[in-house]
Amino acid sequence: MRYRTRTSRTAVVLAAATALAAGLLAGCAEDSDEPGGSSGGGGDGGGGKGRTTLTVGVFGAFGLQEAGLYEEYEKLNPDIDIKQNSVQRNENYWPALLTHLSSGSGLSDIQAVEVGNIAELTGTHSGKLMDLGKTQGVDKGAYLDWKWQQGTTDDGKTIALGTDIGPTGICYRKDLFKKAGLPTDREAVGKLWAGDWNKYLEAGKRFKEKAPEGTAFVDGATGVMAAVHGSGKEKFYDAEGELIYKDSAGVKAGWDLAAEFAESGLTAKLQQFQPSWDQAFSNASFATVTCPPWMLGYIKDKAGDKGEDQWDVAAAPKPSNWGGSFLTVPEAGKNKEEAAKLVAWLTAPKQQAKLFDKRASFPSAEAAYDLPEVKDAKNPYFGDAPVGQIFAKAAEGVPVQPIGPKDGIISQYLADTGMLGVDQKGTSPDKAWDKAMKTIDNALDQ
Amino acid sequence: MTDIPSDTRTAAPSTGEEGAAPRARAGAPLADPAAERRRARRSRRYRWDMKWSPYALIAPFFLFFIAFGLFPLLYTGWASLHRVELGTPTDMEWVGLRNFSRLLEDEFFWNALRNTFTIGLISTVPQLLMALGLAHLLHYRLRGSMFFRVAILTPYATSVAAATLVFVLMFSRTDHGMINWALGLVGVDAVDWQNGDWTAQIAVSSIVIWRWTGYNALIYLAAMQAIPNDLYESAALDGASRWQQFRHVTIPSLRPTILFTCVVSTIGATQLFGEPLLFSQGASPTGGSDHQFQTLGLYLYEQGWFNQHLGRSSAIAWTMFLILVLIGLLNWAISRWIRRSA
Amino acid sequence: MASLKKRGAGRQLHGGKLAYAVLILFTIGSLFPLVWTAIAASRNNTRLAETPPPFWFGGNLFKNLEIAWTDANMGTALLNTLVVAGTITVGTVLFSTLAGFAFAKLRFRFRGLLLLLVVGTMMVPPQLSVVPLFMMVAEFGWTDQLQSVILPTLVSAFGVFFMRQYLIEALPTEVIEAARVDGASSLRLIWHVVFPAARPAMAVLGMLTFVMAWNDFFWPIIALTQGGEPTVQVALAGLGRGQIPDQSVIMAGALLGTLPLLIAFVLFGKQIVGGIMQGAVKG
Repeated sequence: MRYRTRTSRTAVVLAAATALAAGLLAGCAEDSDEPGGSSGGGGDGGGGKGRTTLTVGVFGAFGLQEAGLYEEYEKLNPDIDIKQNSVQRNENYWPALLTHLSSGSGLSDIQAVEVGNIAELTGTHSGKLMDLGKTQGVDKGAYLDWKWQQGTTDDGKTIALGTDIGPTGICYRKDLFKKAGLPTDREAVGKLWAGDWNKYLEAGKRFKEKAPEGTAFVDGATGVMAAVHGSGKEKFYDAEGELIYKDSAGVKAGWDLAAEFAESGLTAKLQQFQPSWDQAFSNASFATVTCPPWMLGYIKDKAGDKGEDQWDVAAAPKPSNWGGSFLTVPEAGKNKEEAAKLVAWLTAPKQQAKLFDKRASFPSAEAAYDLPEVKDAKNPYFGDAPVGQIFAKAAEGVPVQPIGPKDGIISQYLADTGMLGVDQKGTSPDKAWDKAMKTIDNALDQ
Repeated sequence: MTDIPSDTRTAAPSTGEEGAAPRARAGAPLADPAAERRRARRSRRYRWDMKWSPYALIAPFFLFFIAFGLFPLLYTGWASLHRVELGTPTDMEWVGLRNFSRLLEDEFFWNALRNTFTIGLISTVPQLLMALGLAHLLHYRLRGSMFFRVAILTPYATSVAAATLVFVLMFSRTDHGMINWALGLVGVDAVDWQNGDWTAQIAVSSIVIWRWTGYNALIYLAAMQAIPNDLYESAALDGASRWQQFRHVTIPSLRPTILFTCVVSTIGATQLFGEPLLFSQGASPTGGSDHQFQTLGLYLYEQGWFNQHLGRSSAIAWTMFLILVLIGLLNWAISRWIRRSA
Repeated sequence: MASLKKRGAGRQLHGGKLAYAVLILFTIGSLFPLVWTAIAASRNNTRLAETPPPFWFGGNLFKNLEIAWTDANMGTALLNTLVVAGTITVGTVLFSTLAGFAFAKLRFRFRGLLLLLVVGTMMVPPQLSVVPLFMMVAEFGWTDQLQSVILPTLVSAFGVFFMRQYLIEALPTEVIEAARVDGASSLRLIWHVVFPAARPAMAVLGMLTFVMAWNDFFWPIIALTQGGEPTVQVALAGLGRGQIPDQSVIMAGALLGTLPLLIAFVLFGKQIVGGIMQGAVKG
């Protein structure tokens, strides 16, 4: 019995101590929470007269902060403070943003939106966002026309200004290409598959014949599929806004080609942005990967010193777009006008060029392509490839695809419950296609 | 609820003079009027206290409970009869029982139900059997028995998220994964745990088993320690072996506890969510490219927060609840049956 | 009260070699994944892709912990979780004791009915209230704030039932009556009689609640999606979603998130084991 009472006494002390500590902490945390105004609005925190804190909600590695743009703006506008809230995956960021918009709370002054979701915003939620087209300093002519249109509603209200786009090239490993008897010069490599995704497949088959052991031609089938989908005239919606994912020629072409990559054993069966994918970069276990500009920095990070001078970047078979984002200003924000000014500044060609220089996010402002940060950009890690020119050329050729509200979710399911099964499980492409279609139908059915 | 004659007034007769004491004192002849009034006031306050304090004591619990438990529960039922989308939750459109009736032909729902059941079975049965065996061993006199108890309980301190992240790495697809490497040592080829239907379910179950076996073992141990010693002594006198004692004394005495752990584990299994979510690459809510380890909890999450259909999601939640009620009824029937047969 | 009976612990059988062997095996099985978490956290991403997997510590532990601490927000997450789990524990224990005492020892109208309601809702899965809770939280503007995970979990039906079961036996009715005779108000009664009697059970409930709140996953990842104020589990889920696709850093995060409870286990393991076993007998 004595043991038992001692037990409880110690436990009581433990519990009490924890409770006390937690209570104290709770007090501190609540106090410190208030001025920051994490719930959005921001208001004039910090106590200074007229000081405004603008909050920016972003997903992924958006790069605005890292490129020092906030800092620069704060210097230009001493009464503005900028605070960023970042969520890593858009799949989590987007549903939260939707709820915040519908309740008008929990919003940042500025909210970033991915291209896969932008149509849902322009279609159903435009009333909750500011018209940025009229903001001072915004010049419609500076942007790529299609990017501008994507952020504009049918009745001409521009609720989102474009930041970056994702014109793609193909990154490839010179050492592996050489061992497999393929050309290594970026011009020659580009010519290898110029104009036709099937030539990319052919190159893969040639690679496979003499491939060094343990290496594959591409990282995974889903990446190939996404790249082909980004290069067609239509994807999941037609120009009238009707869903055509089941019989769109572009979707089918991407599916078939990616499936053939998988079935010919040309893939390393990896899913992108997973640890194993990262490890494969550093182990050099695949030779090519679809490369939007920001991917170059990623490869440099992951492949590290070992990959120095081994990687290069060539033009993709067809110009294609992968990703890209927008900035919006919710009407519910307390500092709308200031926020709009910041958005206008951040998306202006000059800042977009800086973002490219620092973070390799490719400008959606066409006017930026002639600025030296873009025009003369070379990437030393990739054998001094003139990346600015390569991607600018790709950007000009990117087709203008109609996009719809459910683009994001359709492409995610097509990859995760369809192509991934073909690639990793060896499911037959027809069966996988049926399964993906069922999943998508079920997801879209309200 | 029959054992509490606690109110002083009703208790007074049973405790006799003590209970009657205050009133006796109040009626004492020496009292002056002021003291009388004070006493009256005090007794009024006392009665007021007696009458209302029980409600005051349960009020905090019930306030929170109603606001964050009962109301949401009922509202989920209401929402399940509507088309409600995540982006516009106030915009509700009455659809009657459609969200429920469509579940009948929703192959993803049936798939999730099936997976929940099989994963529940694979994780619960071995877990409880091992826990029982462990408890039996811990019940012996042992050196360092406290060390063993603490050691087997540590997985309980590991969160679902942390445990799953570690297991994902150990169940890695290629031969560098810990488990595949170990299998390789005994000559088994690398298994693609995540992509196989059964292998994925086994891997997910193993996380549950790892986290809960020790905890259940301690519960069994506590119950074993409460078994009176004479039962064993008389069994030993009858010449029962250790195994026979275990079968004929320990197990029957543990029946209520075993049933209790079965129910708790079943409830846990029905709600399984974190393990299958984080087990998939990129924590996708589909539970693998074939939905091969998508549980009901995961499907509910996918419908509500990825596909944005909160109404459909609510209907799945209520269906889960109905399943739990069924399990509860079954449990009740079984425990009655056990009691009668005992 | 089971604990007062002569216990079966007096069974004098000594464990044989086999018993030790099996127990050691299970101990290794229980501890290995945790130890290996630390090993993996001390390596780098590339090393973890090699065969055989590492079995001893490398030199990257502190670097990885630092990345997890800052980039994966584990520092904020730990502090937040301490606040959340601490507040929930205090709330649950306090309110459960009060209500449990009322249900165990006081008479009032609808007592039976209300108790039935409490017991009935113990089986309700958290999934059942998550949609409206989510809408409420959005409506109140609490998304991504800690109160969105604290308030809905602040009381527990299990806690009330647990305390009631304990107090029925642990708190003799005569003691209450004696206090009443002395004219003690309910407040005094609770402070001087109920709390002291309930202490052991409060400790057990507090411990169970703290571990549960610390490890709570389902609701927090729905309520705290924007990532500004994560709990440990939300931050870990972010790691699982490929926020930082580097296995060694992911493992460092898992290690950080588990460490506080592990330390508690090392320091108070005996008491925790005792608490769970006591709780099991009472429940």
